[in-house]
Amino acid sequence: MLLAYRCALASERVRATAIEANEFPQLSQELGVWAVPRIVVDGEPRWDGAVPEPEFLRRLLDG
Amino acid sequence: MALLRAGDATKVREWFSELARPVELFVAVGREETPLAGAGDVDFGAEMVQLCESLAELGDDVTCRVEREPGGFPRYPSVSIRPEGRDEGVRYDGLPLGYELGSLVGGIVEAGREEPSLGPESVAALDELDRELVLDVFVTPT
Repeated sequence: MLLAYRCALASERVRATAIEANEFPQLSQELGVWAVPRIVVDGEPRWDGAVPEPEFLRRLLDG
Repeated sequence: MALLRAGDATKVREWFSELARPVELFVAVGREETPLAGAGDVDFGAEMVQLCESLAELGDDVTCRVEREPGGFPRYPSVSIRPEGRDEGVRYDGLPLGYELGSLVGGIVEAGREEPSLGPESVAALDELDRELVLDVFVTPT
């Protein structure tokens, strides 16, 4: 989660929100959240699980 | 419900004492979605307010402000972590408990830095960004 926050703080073009999956089950179901952390970019599920910073940025920006 | 243990509070106080700039916790409360079974009768909004007020007590540079159903918040409760009171797009939707309390505290520490803590290559890559990116990270309070 902190990597996402760091990206938002480093760029005014990025917004990052942690969403507690159990508390918002409808949204979690819509996005097929079965594993956490699930990373969703612009409303599209992209990947599950923590990755190192360079890989996180690559996946985020190459999408 | 005790959201912050004594030992945790000591550590958090130490981290907050090193913030380079003030951080506001803007808490948005309002009508909540029905959570999964097992959540009981927890008033997530009230717990969120209590948690953020407790965190604000741990650092002179951390403040807490609460509003009911402010614009721009699709879910409640939510906390917007704001360096110097500015909305820079850092939020936590839902009540952060257990391991995830560390995400909220970590977000405050990050927001309290003057410079990004990403590596220079990552900062350079983000500087090249020519579009808006909305990043949602689903977590659970394990």
